[in-house]
Amino acid sequence: MKIAMINGSPKVKDSASGVILNALKERIGEAAECVLYSTAKEDKQEFMQAVSESEAIVFAFPLFVDGIPSHLLRLLDEVQQNIVDAAPKAMIYAVVNNGFYEGRQNILALEMMRNFCIRSGLEWGQGIGVGAGGMTNAAPVGKGPLKKLGLALDMLSANILSGKDAEDYFFEPGFPRFLYKAAVHMGWKTQAKKNGLKPKQLYGDQ
Amino acid sequence: MSKKLILHDLSPEDAENLLPKESEIYSLYPAKPPVRHCVGCFGCWLKTPGRCVINDRGSDFSALMLQHDEIIVISRFVFGGLSPDIKAVFDRSIGFILPFFRILNGEMHHVKRYQKSPDLCYILYGIDINDTEKETARKLIAANALNFGSENSQISFHTSPREIREVLA
Repeated sequence: MKIAMINGSPKVKDSASGVILNALKERIGEAAECVLYSTAKEDKQEFMQAVSESEAIVFAFPLFVDGIPSHLLRLLDEVQQNIVDAAPKAMIYAVVNNGFYEGRQNILALEMMRNFCIRSGLEWGQGIGVGAGGMTNAAPVGKGPLKKLGLALDMLSANILSGKDAEDYFFEPGFPRFLYKAAVHMGWKTQAKKNGLKPKQLYGDQ
Repeated sequence: MSKKLILHDLSPEDAENLLPKESEIYSLYPAKPPVRHCVGCFGCWLKTPGRCVINDRGSDFSALMLQHDEIIVISRFVFGGLSPDIKAVFDRSIGFILPFFRILNGEMHHVKRYQKSPDLCYILYGIDINDTEKETARKLIAANALNFGSENSQISFHTSPREIREVLA
């Protein structure tokens, strides 16, 4: 079995989507051949090689303005027929993470992925909405605040390997919302200082 | 007088034939040729607050949002949402809001940078638009309005951009 894992983050490195796909790949282990492709490369040919003859395609991407990041949306829009031709039996899965706490806020991006499947005639497998995506580096996946992410990926890998579809699943980290909010705010201010800005200046006008 | 900014993905010919001319009321922002896509660097929040750091015209859009009372988005309808060209402009405009969070309707959202936000009007065109996709789009404009801080939003669906002239009349 071949599984294509498409990282839909525009970041070349350190993306939450990359952490998620690596953890999923670990769970798949030797049970299937996993081919990873990063959309940050913007190489349509390599993307097509990755998805070609796959039985499952897993897209992992960040939520941008309540939807799919524009570079990934453009790719899906342009190659939908090519995907159908190259991998007609592929089941499509998607894991979307957002900076907000609630995983459910990823629901519209997942609906758009499902609409993409209906339009192109591909089969929709399952969508996962990951809240507090900024925390995916906070611990090893499966441990502490990322325990639920580990369990979600256990479930997803089982569904992928058995070719099953399933209800979408949304979750938050094992970490209180008010603390997540405080930690992110502190993180922004720390980064601002590194950029030579006072925290107050973040509120500034252009 | 209400100032309206038309963000559209029409060809230059269609734009010429279908859209109002630039005036005191209307400004036009063509999404074609596409602006570069957001790279997720957060520079618009943490380096040059309010403005995208990528050096092309896509960085101007968030300031234009502030200068207008309404954003009229004319977009090809793609998977229940906006077209890649339009989406690229919006993805580059999150500097319009702050990186900080607030809780609104029991959910986490961003704090507004400015007191005022423009209303949103989506005019979406495409063939064979189905009800499921329409439902996604209705929820999308509500979510976009909530996250950009817009008080009012409206949406309409059309089979061809040629219908746009009547909508804007």
